[in-house]
Amino acid sequence: MWLPLLGLILGVALGLLSDIQVPEVYGNYLSIAVLAALDTLLGGIRAHLQQVYDDKVFVTGFFFNIALAAGLAFLGVHLGVDLYLAAVFAFGVRLFQNIAVIRRILLAKWTERSKGSETNASD
Amino acid sequence: MRNRSKFTIVLFIIGFMAAVQYNTVQNPKERDTRDIWAIRNELAAEKQLHLELLSEIRELDKTIYTYESSEDENTRHALLETVDKLYEQAGMTDMEGPGIVMEVRPSPESIAYGMPINGISADLLTRFVNELNRFKGHSLEIDGKRITTLSAIRDINGKTTVNGLNIATPPFKIKVMTQTFAESEKLYNLLLASSIQDDFYLDNLILEVNEPSEHIKIRGWTERFTNLYLHELPEGE
Repeated sequence: MWLPLLGLILGVALGLLSDIQVPEVYGNYLSIAVLAALDTLLGGIRAHLQQVYDDKVFVTGFFFNIALAAGLAFLGVHLGVDLYLAAVFAFGVRLFQNIAVIRRILLAKWTERSKGSETNASD
Repeated sequence: MRNRSKFTIVLFIIGFMAAVQYNTVQNPKERDTRDIWAIRNELAAEKQLHLELLSEIRELDKTIYTYESSEDENTRHALLETVDKLYEQAGMTDMEGPGIVMEVRPSPESIAYGMPINGISADLLTRFVNELNRFKGHSLEIDGKRITTLSAIRDINGKTTVNGLNIATPPFKIKVMTQTFAESEKLYNLLLASSIQDDFYLDNLILEVNEPSEHIKIRGWTERFTNLYLHELPEGE
């Protein structure tokens, strides 16, 4: 539980301290890449909780989604259509769905556990 | 355990990307608060610079053309011509042309009150030269001393000097030569409208600007230029 959190903190610290800035033109790509990464992460957590987690799916999904999102944004810029909005929409919807599923699973686990402790107590 | 390390790596990447994005969003370039006139002014300044550079390029092109078109015998001539031109630019030669003659005199009030006549201060003279320098392409002589890029206006033991030589107690003459008569007229109007006259008056002096004339004569820089950085190469190299 703590190791991934440490990774997150380390990444944020490194990013903030190194003071790297992306040119404004590429800001779109980065924001969409962040969104795709978050989506994959939440998908991974959901899969983990649903016991269907697969390493390869997770890692390939992570990089593939980022690349796809950035590619879509790139294509959109060249076609003159704001295609990145499509990616934002798709990832946004999935993000919410994943969070909802995670919430339900956690809720179910919690109620199960409290039920279990109740039955234990009544025994 | 392997899952966990992968999660860690992914989270690390996400954190890094988010932080970079945060940096990008949080550090906007300095907000541009100039209004249209400020921008126009800047544009005008740049255009002026552009114009000056273009004319310089044209001048240099002309020189190159002279070098190329002239025969070998004439190369010497062309070089000498360039040297002469450079001497002229550096202010080493006497010059004749249209210009304005000004006179610095003690103000009538100070004479009437019997105040001692002090020489012009170095500060005021520098200010005056700077005021004139707003006008491009002129040659200036103050009390018979030519002002070049190497000239210094200094206060030495309470005496104002130009090029190390004392400036006379007023009255003395200042001569400005311009490229054309029209420019002289422009400079004349500029000087009349300038606040520099008030600055002279504060020092109990009067700057009398005469009408521009077609022919004035100014002297060249009399001292030698000392060259610190350029060396002559031995012949044949």
